[in-house]
Parts: sequence; C-alpha cells; structure tokens
Amino acid sequence: MTTIFAKLVDVTRCDGCRACMVACKNWNDLPAAPEEFKGSYQSHDKCNAFNWNMLTFTEHEAEDGRFEWLFRHSACMHCTDAACVKVCPEDALHYTEFGTVNTNYDKCVGCGYCVQNCPFSVIELAKYTDENGKEYEKAQKCTMCIDRLREDMMPACVNICHMDALVFGDKEEMEAMALERLAQVKDRYPNANIYNPIGVDGTQTFYLLAEPPSVYGLPENPKVPTSATIWKDYAQPLGKAMLGVTTMAVIGGFISNKLFNKQGQEGGDHDE
Amino acid sequence: MSNRQQTVKRFSKWVIIAHWTNALAFFALYITALPLYTDFFSWMYPIFGGPENLRLLHRIFAVLFVLPPIVMMFVDPKSLFHWLKQTLTWRKEDIMFFVKFPKEFFGGHVKDMPKQDFFNAGEKLNSLLTITCAAMLIGSGIVMWMPHLFPVVLIQWAYPIHNIAFGLSVAVVVGHIYLSLGHPGSKASMQGMTKGDVPVKYAKEHHGKWYDELVAKGEIKEEKPVKKGKGA
Ligand code: SF4
Ligand code: SF4
Ligand code: SF4
Repeated sequence: MTTIFAKLVDVTRCDGCRACMVACKNWNDLPAAPEEFKGSYQSHDKCNAFNWNMLTFTEHEAEDGRFEWLFRHSACMHCTDAACVKVCPEDALHYTEFGTVNTNYDKCVGCGYCVQNCPFSVIELAKYTDENGKEYEKAQKCTMCIDRLREDMMPACVNICHMDALVFGDKEEMEAMALERLAQVKDRYPNANIYNPIGVDGTQTFYLLAEPPSVYGLPENPKVPTSATIWKDYAQPLGKAMLGVTTMAVIGGFISNKLFNKQGQEGGDHDE
Repeated sequence: MSNRQQTVKRFSKWVIIAHWTNALAFFALYITALPLYTDFFSWMYPIFGGPENLRLLHRIFAVLFVLPPIVMMFVDPKSLFHWLKQTLTWRKEDIMFFVKFPKEFFGGHVKDMPKQDFFNAGEKLNSLLTITCAAMLIGSGIVMWMPHLFPVVLIQWAYPIHNIAFGLSVAVVVGHIYLSLGHPGSKASMQGMTKGDVPVKYAKEHHGKWYDELVAKGEIKEEKPVKKGKGA
C-alpha cells in the first residue's frame, strides 16, 4: 500500500516572507512572470503556469477592529478526488505513489480541460515554442516536488520555510498535528479551522486557517464540478460503449447491405 | 431497368450540395475528435501531425459543418424553410408511421401506411434529431472554442453537452445511413440525394401526400398501377 503524504500549511505561523515562492521557482527552474502593480503587496493574482505557489496577502479586519494581514501559501491542493485528473482526456494528469497529483508532459496535449475544471483554479497552460517555431501548450502546476520526494527530500518550499508554517509528511501524522495546532491557536484565532475539503475527498495540501476559507479566497465547499462527473462518469463511458456497438453496426450494415442490395435489385427487376 | 420510368424533381442542387457538405464535415469532425475522446485512438496523432493540428482541423471542419444552413439561407431559402416547416409539423399520419414502420422495416409490406408528406415521418424524426444534435454541438463547440468569452460554469457544461450530442448524433447518423442504404427503397432515395429526382412510383409509395399534391397541380400524370412485361 502506498503511504499518502501531505503538506500542512499552518497560516497562523506564516509571516509572508515568500521564501517558499522563491524556493519553488529556483528548484523547478521557473521563469519570472511579472504582473503589473495592482496596489497590493500581493505579487500575483493567483497561481499560474510559472508561479506554482504564491502568497496571498489579505487585508482583514479582526472582530475587535484590529487590522490584520492574512498570509496564505497557495499552490495546487493535490486533491484526493481531483477534477483535473478526472477530465484529462490523455491521462496526462495522474496520481503518484505519494497520493499527489502530477502531470506527464509527454502526454499533455494542452487542451486545457483541467484548467477549466480545477475548483481552485491553480493549474494553467504554459505556451512554448519548439525548434521549428511552432507553438504548443502544456498544463503546469505544483508537482509537490515529486523529483525531490523520490530522493527522500522535502518539497523545496517546505524545506525553506523558516517559520515551520509548511510541514510535510505522512498525511495521518499531518492531520494529527493540524488538530494539535488548532487547539493551540483557538484562543488567539477563535475562527480557526482545518481546511481539507470533503467535496474533493480531502487534499494533500491542506490548511490550518485562522479565518473562514472564503476570507482567504478559498471556496467554502469546493467539489468536482457536477458537469465533470456527468461527463466523465456517465456520458463518456456510455458513449465509448456505444461507439463500439455503432462501429460494429456500421460494419455489419455494410456487409448486410451488400447482400441486401443485391436482393433489392433482383426484387426490383421482378417488380418491373 | 427501365430508364423511361417517369421521375419527378425532389431536391434542388443546393439541397444536395448542403446535404453532402454536412455529411463530409460530420465525418471529418468525427474522425478528428476520436483521439481526444479516448486513448484508444492516440495513434492518430502522428498521422495528423500532432494534437495541435488535429484540433485545428477539427475547428476547420466545424466551420464547414456550420456553413450549409447559413449558405442555404441565401441561395435557396425556399428549400431550407420548407424542410424546417415540415420537420416541425407533426400530424396523426406521422405518428401512425411509427406504429406501422417496424413491420416494413423487417421486410413486411405495409398496405395501409397513411400517406406521408414530402418528408415522411422517419425523415422528419431524423431531421429533428439532427437539428437538435447540431444545435447542441455547435452551441457547446463555440463555448469550448472561445472560453474567454463565457463564464466558467458554461464552459464546464459545454463538455458533457458536446459529448452527449456527439454520442446521440453518431447513433442518428448510423440509423440514417442504414435506412438510406439498407432499405428496399434505398436506390430511389439515394437517387433523390444524388441526382435530385425520384421515380414517381417511389413518390407515390413513400410520400403519398406529396404525390397527390403533384398530381393535383398537374405536375405529373397519375401513375397507373403498372402491369407490364420485362423492362429493358
Ligand atoms: S487543486 Fe486543481 S490542479 Fe491541483 S489536484 Fe486539485 S483539481 Fe488538480
Ligand atoms: S491540458 Fe494537458 S493535462 Fe490538462 S486536461 Fe488537457 S491533456 Fe490533460
Ligand atoms: S511543493 Fe514544490 S512544486 Fe509545489 S509549491 Fe512547493 S516547491 Fe513548488
């Protein structure tokens, strides 16, 4: 049996230094992807093809009227029931031996179905140009540093986090740790909660949040889109089965036609 | 076979062109969609020069698929609207058709088939399903082609809709092909869709109401029940 690993993000410890963002870029060789200044400390709107993780900076007014910065390390959630895996027609997105979600770039055809169905909108297509000058696209997102995990190393972002806001390990242990910490921060953050949404069967990047998920720009009840379920679990399997039947019907039709038509001609001749 | 057989014009050349353009585009779309639909057809990617090319081709054929009704609106609106009107007009005779048809389908000869329109009820049903599928395919296809113009929920629903319509249309097309090629009347109906005219005898047997109208208008002479020797 595979052990499920998870990254616990304890936002109550995060000081917004963005070292995780830099470490990720560094380890994964991701190019700079500047965005124009929008009047916030937040560097980018959201994760994108070249920013696999980024810090969200939320200005928040606490209950006693105090102003607060809420920081959140955001990245692919590595959903247990991942919409992106479900809709990918090429099986490019898949679950790894660690329970995380990874992309096989050789298989990805850049259709973008994953982009349109990820409930957390963290996956994006990156444009590349090949040696013949032809453009092509591939889906890009956090890999949970799969290459590091395979070498028994921590993800780069976890490794660099000086506040222990990011921890990585066996998911069950991480869940126990999250509960422990939740109890510790409750008096300081009465709204604190663990975000490991059941609508996607839990996630392998999960949170201890100080405020409700929506305050952090996270969906309260994320789930695999119903349309994706209908499409992939019902329409397509049925269609595939029918495709077999209809293909047989066509072949059968052609053969029987050969016989049938001859008969028809003879019959016609007799008629006249 | 007697080539002196009396025939009557059924389809204009524009209808014929539109029909076969549509058919060609449909099959091209079908083929270029397969690899995205199931891995089973991934071997097609190299043949078509990779996924990008295949998807480009799919879109080119999509345009070809959308064109016929639009062009018809300008070059032969009469046929187009006649077809639409007939497709949407359902009478008792049309329902009866489906009660009697199974017997005919399995080779029996139905004596009391109620007289059918220019398009018989089977053709009407085929048209109705074709129009429905095409509307679903084109509508969802536009959303999938230009996702930036639409809200995410619509994009997400476009995929299953495109998928369902695809399955349905394949079933309809298979039925259509089977009935138009494998049925005893097939030669005549094929002639209608290739040359544009059909034997009067066929019109009388399969489209009684239309035949009566033609006779009433004096466009054709009434068919005598034939009883002659061997044809040519
Ligand atoms: S967060 Fe999005 S991209 Fe990541 S596993 Fe879940 S559905 Fe896939
Ligand atoms: S873009 Fe790539 S990874 Fe995403 S669904 Fe399409 S083939 Fe799969
Ligand atoms: S796990 Fe690795 S790839 Fe994912 S955000 Fe952290 S450093 Fe980036």
